Amino acid sequence: MINQIEEVKKKFLEEIETVKDEKQLEEFRVKYLGRRGIIQTLFDKLKEIPREEKPTIGKFLNEFKELAQIKFDEKRKEIESGKRKVGELVDLTIPGRFKYTGRKHPLTQTLEEIKKIFVAMGFEIASGPEIEDDYHNFEALNIPPEHPARDMQDTFFIKENIILRTHTSPVQIRVMESKQPPVRIIAPGRVYRNEAISARSYCLFHQVEGLYVDEGVSFAELKGTLLSFAKQMFGSSVKLRFRPSFFPFTEPSAEVDVSCFICGGKGCRVCKYGGWLEILGCGMVDPNVFKFVGYDSEKYTGYAFGMGVERIAMLKYGIDDIRLFYENDFRFLEQF
Amino acid sequence: MKISHKWLKNYIDLEAEPEEVKEKLTMLGLEVESVDYPGEKFKNFYVGEVLEVSKHPNADKLTVCRVRVGKDTLQIICGAPNVAAGQKVPVALVGAVIPRNQHDPEGKPFVLTKAKIRGVESYGMICSEFELGLGDDKEGIMVLEPNAQVGQPLAEYFGLDDVIYDISVTPNRPDCLSHIGVARELAVAFGLKLKKPEFKVVESDKRITDYASVEIIDTLNCPRYAARVVLNVKVEPSPKWLQDYLRAVGLRPINNIVDITNFVLYEVGHPLHAFDYDKLAGHKIVVKCANDGEVFITLDGKARVLRKDTLMICDAEKPVAIAGVMGGANTEITDETKNVLIESAYFNPISIRRTSKYLGLSTDASYRFERGADPEAVIWAVNRAAQLMAEIAGGEVLQGVIDVYPVEIKPKVVSLRFSRLNSVIGFEFSQDDVVKILEGLELEILNRDEKSLTVKVPTFRVDIEREIDLIEEVARVYGYDRIPDKMRSVVHFSTEKVKVDFHNFVRERLIGAGFKEVVTNSMLDEEKASLLGENFVKVLNPLSREMSALRTSLIPSALDVVKHNFGYGVKNLKFFEIGKVFRLAFDEDEKPRYVDNYVEEERLLILMTGVAEPVSYDLGERIFDIYDLKGEVENLFRGIFLENYRFIYYSNNSDIAELEIGIEIGGKYAGRLIKVGDEILNKFDIKADIYIAEIDFDLLCKNSRFEERHYIELPRFPSVFRDLAFVVDESVPVGEVENAIKEKAGAVLKSIRLFDIYRGERIGEGKKSVAFSLEILSKEKTLTDEEVNELIQKVVKYVEQKFEAKLRSY
Repeated sequence: MINQIEEVKKKFLEEIETVKDEKQLEEFRVKYLGRRGIIQTLFDKLKEIPREEKPTIGKFLNEFKELAQIKFDEKRKEIESGKRKVGELVDLTIPGRFKYTGRKHPLTQTLEEIKKIFVAMGFEIASGPEIEDDYHNFEALNIPPEHPARDMQDTFFIKENIILRTHTSPVQIRVMESKQPPVRIIAPGRVYRNEAISARSYCLFHQVEGLYVDEGVSFAELKGTLLSFAKQMFGSSVKLRFRPSFFPFTEPSAEVDVSCFICGGKGCRVCKYGGWLEILGCGMVDPNVFKFVGYDSEKYTGYAFGMGVERIAMLKYGIDDIRLFYENDFRFLEQF
Repeated sequence: MKISHKWLKNYIDLEAEPEEVKEKLTMLGLEVESVDYPGEKFKNFYVGEVLEVSKHPNADKLTVCRVRVGKDTLQIICGAPNVAAGQKVPVALVGAVIPRNQHDPEGKPFVLTKAKIRGVESYGMICSEFELGLGDDKEGIMVLEPNAQVGQPLAEYFGLDDVIYDISVTPNRPDCLSHIGVARELAVAFGLKLKKPEFKVVESDKRITDYASVEIIDTLNCPRYAARVVLNVKVEPSPKWLQDYLRAVGLRPINNIVDITNFVLYEVGHPLHAFDYDKLAGHKIVVKCANDGEVFITLDGKARVLRKDTLMICDAEKPVAIAGVMGGANTEITDETKNVLIESAYFNPISIRRTSKYLGLSTDASYRFERGADPEAVIWAVNRAAQLMAEIAGGEVLQGVIDVYPVEIKPKVVSLRFSRLNSVIGFEFSQDDVVKILEGLELEILNRDEKSLTVKVPTFRVDIEREIDLIEEVARVYGYDRIPDKMRSVVHFSTEKVKVDFHNFVRERLIGAGFKEVVTNSMLDEEKASLLGENFVKVLNPLSREMSALRTSLIPSALDVVKHNFGYGVKNLKFFEIGKVFRLAFDEDEKPRYVDNYVEEERLLILMTGVAEPVSYDLGERIFDIYDLKGEVENLFRGIFLENYRFIYYSNNSDIAELEIGIEIGGKYAGRLIKVGDEILNKFDIKADIYIAEIDFDLLCKNSRFEERHYIELPRFPSVFRDLAFVVDESVPVGEVENAIKEKAGAVLKSIRLFDIYRGERIGEGKKSVAFSLEILSKEKTLTDEEVNELIQKVVKYVEQKFEAKLRSY
């Protein structure tokens, strides 16, 4: 009897190796492990053997049955998962199947980072048109006709008094026209400048405008807000430098430099060995602007700021030619 | 604007190093864009004296010179024919960098070393103008003035021992467009005293009123006009010191008279003009506007067409200058000029700006007048120039100044409340600091109490009119960096529902599907703009013809992106853009949201070209087709919970599309899917199949069900799957068969999927087999085989009848 079992076992182990698919597996299962399979017939035969041999042979048979079941389960798993045995000539060094990878444009990524920081500080998002009127783009921002400050921004005209906005500041006016303080917004968007295209300037770019108007808003708070932004954006060790400047719609006005986060302020090619990088303009909203939108400038004060998304993206990623953003070379986009 | 460190020292005892000056100026709001050390290039160059010249023993054309440089006498080999004993010459010592090499075709600089020339040692070099970079003369060495001081550094001899700051002055600060103006700022910052030059005009006893007269007709545009007359001047090149000053700030010396007016301009900031007195008809000045269309030749020789709002300086007969902009050729100072009339006036900034703008002519004078000159500087400036003309050009200054000043411009009086200052800045200033700062800026304190003070503003500070202007001055001079950073804020909690960042939502879906995002120019040429949309918007003053219109569609710039990438061999592209397009409103009922009748709409563009899957070793290469695009669009719609859309299938080709499927969202036309037609592709010089979808972004946002997601109970019974294949005529659209199945099967049909289209002999010519997999599910119970079969029979019968179809397999 033992010999018979050994023979079955040998055959079983041989045959199971030849099983290649589910159909064969099922056939194999029926043949050996089925209700009328070989193993069951062996158990049936157990009744016929002498009583004293029963425990030994029974144990032997049971062990075989367990082994058979384990081997069968392994085989089933192997087939189900498509797994093949090592050494069976599967070349795992063949490359995986590639898919096209999507990427957000580096300008979008930079803008999203900026937005996230200000939204967390309680700023809401506002927007306005790109085709803008002279009133919102200039006059209400305290830039009357014939003012030399108009030379600071070369303008594209659509027709008399209609232009392509030169900055996102007109959104300040539109927001203040539509609601009373407190106002706390950022306004991202595209702006246009009639300037020759070069590695350093393009005829359009993107800005993020910020505006906060309420009772008791101060220049010191503007400084703190922007310092917090800069640390979150560029790293907690950066410093800011506020330089007095001039914008018609803010007073006092400042241009803001961040300590070079590439060299840590020691001086490098990016900061032109000066240790500082200019990143934004800001100031306290000029009372004349409040007059245009009908806010009481004795009761309310506010601050405003504006920054160029391209500028920040260029600094952040070390991009040296602004035109790369609009060329959309896939070899460029792939890097971000 | 260029400011010379040496020149500044005439007005303040400036001891700070240039880097410190730069830092101070920048922190005062006078941004220093660059600091230039012009003398640096002449390091190791000195004035030398040629003591002795002898022939080189081994070369005919060379001489051996003994040159004294300070205490040392050097042996120098020289090849110049004009070298002679007794000359004062520029000498480069060993180690000097010679700016230009005469023997190098590109004239590259080189470092001078000790050399043995044909056996004789040379310890330096006597330089030519060319080699010093000062001129083009290579023929011989440069010979300096006989009184040049031997041993003096050459930079000093040329007046180049200076530091030049290039300052960007903001438009509100015309008072800083001069050396005295900048010195005043530095005086405040360094706590120094400003010393304005003191002088006395030596006048003759001839009275000016007997020689000239001034009449202002347009007193609005010319509130003040002053003049002086200087007789018997000798017009000649200016003395070296004056030329050096002008060159230092980038001006070209012309003659002593013109140079003096420029010197005063850069000293005090007030523009002057010198007329040839004898060419002024009637020796009279009349200030009035021009006649429309009148032509006037300015002293640069150009003919200028005037307008009736152009303010002119005239004599008794004719115009002689465009006021505040440029003088005329007819009265300019020439070598023959004997007598000079100096103009010092104050013009209305708006008038000058308008004129300068339409003439396209910006000069040192117009730049200052349009920002606001100082009406009080008029007399000082004319006196300064007259006195210098007497000293330098030997002129006789007539007695008195003609000063026509009909309506006096009074200094402004402004008050400042300390409490307001502190609350705007967010910092408690000491009142004494405030007073010190304002006084340092030459603001006169008229009144002061514990709450406020009142100041008189000097007329050169055109930017100070209001309390906020004083607040700025205090903060600026005190130093922005000394004002604390307040790191807390009062935030009002918003009561608005947070809007989903839909742009980002769509972007992330597309990026997940392997699309790259592009950002393109919104300006393009008119032809491309008109190709893809009506009513396009033109730019009046475009940068170029290629950017003379605003885009009406994202398609042209997307094709530019394709072209660009193809040019670099990147042929497989999947990308998208979300951007604005522009047009004029179609009719009056269409009310644009913002400005006039301009409509701005946001669109989503999706583009695919190349192989559908990056090439792999075992799968064949498959090129993108319209179904890939359709699939991506539907995938996106599913992803953003947009269900109420419908495709419209067009059978005709359009100008731009070889294949076109329209999209309707919420019953509105929302865009299209196209295979771009050859006509367009040829225009962009692209040879490939390009698939583009362009969809109204607003309609996507509005119809997304994202905000209304709601749980629907999951089915409690399993689905049953059945496959059906029909043989139909080639002309029967698959979509219609699919719709017929849906229609007949009704609500229990949970989904249907086309899984095969087969054409072949076994089916017959002009026929195709279309196979669908149906998922059937009842909410109420597990369907029995009989029930499912019954349903399938119903469907089969219906499809067979409707399309003369034959069931192929089931």
